[in-house]
Amino acid sequence: MPSVLLTESIALELGAQEPWPQDVKLFQPYEVEQILLPDNANCLAVQAFLKMCGLDFEVEPRSNAEYMSPSGRVPFIKCGAFVVAELDPIISFVNHKGISLSDKLDSVQKADMRAYMSLINTVLANAELYITWCDKTTLQEVTKPRFGSVLPWPLNHILAWQKRSQVVKKLGVLGWGNKTLDEVYEEIENCCSALSERLENRPYFFGDRPTELDAQVFGHLFTILTTPLPNNRFASIVRGYPNLIELCKLVEKEYFERTAEA
Amino acid sequence: MNHPMELYIWGGDWGLPSVDLHCLEIMAYAKFSGVPLQTCVTNNPFWTPNGRLPVFKHGKQILSSFPEISAYLRKKNFNADFGLSHKQCSEVLAYTQLLRGQLYFALQYVRWVDTKNYIELIRPWYAKALPFPCNYYYPGSYEREAKHQLQALYDQDDDPQSIETFVYGEAEKCLTALSTRLGDQEFFFGVHPTSLDATVYAYLAPLLKVPFPSPALQNYLKACPNLARFVVRITQRYFPYAIQEFDAKKSAGSGARGETPESVSDFPNRRRHQVLAGLFAAAAMTGYALSIGLVQVSIKDEVSENLANHEDLIQAAENTED
Repeated sequence: MPSVLLTESIALELGAQEPWPQDVKLFQPYEVEQILLPDNANCLAVQAFLKMCGLDFEVEPRSNAEYMSPSGRVPFIKCGAFVVAELDPIISFVNHKGISLSDKLDSVQKADMRAYMSLINTVLANAELYITWCDKTTLQEVTKPRFGSVLPWPLNHILAWQKRSQVVKKLGVLGWGNKTLDEVYEEIENCCSALSERLENRPYFFGDRPTELDAQVFGHLFTILTTPLPNNRFASIVRGYPNLIELCKLVEKEYFERTAEA
Repeated sequence: MNHPMELYIWGGDWGLPSVDLHCLEIMAYAKFSGVPLQTCVTNNPFWTPNGRLPVFKHGKQILSSFPEISAYLRKKNFNADFGLSHKQCSEVLAYTQLLRGQLYFALQYVRWVDTKNYIELIRPWYAKALPFPCNYYYPGSYEREAKHQLQALYDQDDDPQSIETFVYGEAEKCLTALSTRLGDQEFFFGVHPTSLDATVYAYLAPLLKVPFPSPALQNYLKACPNLARFVVRITQRYFPYAIQEFDAKKSAGSGARGETPESVSDFPNRRRHQVLAGLFAAAAMTGYALSIGLVQVSIKDEVSENLANHEDLIQAAENTED
């Protein structure tokens, strides 16, 4: 085990020696026609994180981004000779370059941040997967047409079916397979109330400066709020927590509108 | 309700009240919230509603998962999280998800997928604890389940080594976070144990106490002395009987070790089995040799021809060999 961990860290160290290049590209599926709720949340979280760090990048939509990614999941960034996928590896990759959003936090706060990030990863991300792939109406009306929009005829059905069985298997292992839709909504409710209790009335989770956690919360909640679904109870649960909405508005204003103007 | 609350569990060993994570979680929660819970060691998941232990029984209520049981106990006014603020409750939820998301599958890996641990320790333990026909079925089925889980979660990695690296990496990050969060405190939220302490104890105690033959992750936990002390503290304070039993067993074991080697205690009647197996093998080989006519034809002929003269017999044998 240690040898493999070593090679991983060497790769990160090597990457760290170079400064942040100019032509970093973030690959993701097409936002308007193709992208699905869970992927969109992850892509938005990574975008928010990079913007909070003040790093330049270009969004590069590709219809087959999922199959290009080294881990099989979107989004991924191409930074010089390195290709890094998903939020956590991207965070540690950026940290190795000496850029971090959480270096002002003490070690207990960092541990808290890790715990809340895994709360989002286990509850919100799985709930999004459940609603996208296991809820029958959403699957038929939204997921399948969008997923298949970039694929020719027999493939759109075959790959959608394959992807669905993969997701169902994963959710089953995580103990979400037997849940009913109501139980899923209850989980979301619990998660949002926990986040809301933690945020209290501050602008960001750990004071006045955004952290990785804020990027992740923004990515997930903003996507949930803005994605039209046949059943919008998901969004209405989130709307019940005004301080979380404030956080989303703040991050959007600070980091997304400003760049759009410029 | 005069019915006693009962919990059917996996037995303990190595100074643990139970070797199973889910049993430990409920037992610790019950102790922390003062529930008069009777534990029955059954070691047999065959009669349970969904084929696994623990099972909680109170009158007609039969429950088997921690969220269900803790919710039921809360309804009965047994609550370990009574003194926590809203914010602390939200932290309990976050850290519980951290454990479930990052440490649980590493523990599954250590116990069932790591070949050395599984073959040398876990499978023999379960095979010994389970009653007769079940011991051939359950260990293998748990192993398949754990492998299936890891495969479904990390499907893109075909190489088992990379799964191991990834899973252990996540688990180490999780342990580090727990260790920093605990600091020098007695429990996670001050001097009173809460449901989070029960969960953390359930995850860490088996990892710390079970003598795994390949101890990579265990060593990492031992390098966090405050977490190790946390586990020992809870065991001593709430499950002293487990330690006493283990010490008694150990001293009995070391007393007997002076006369006979330790392996004898693992296999009673070892000599008898060896003799029986030898006899059986010899009988089978002889039977086979006789049945395909390797030996007996010549001997039979000699015997029938001449029984009296020994030298003739040898001569005849030589003749047949030629």
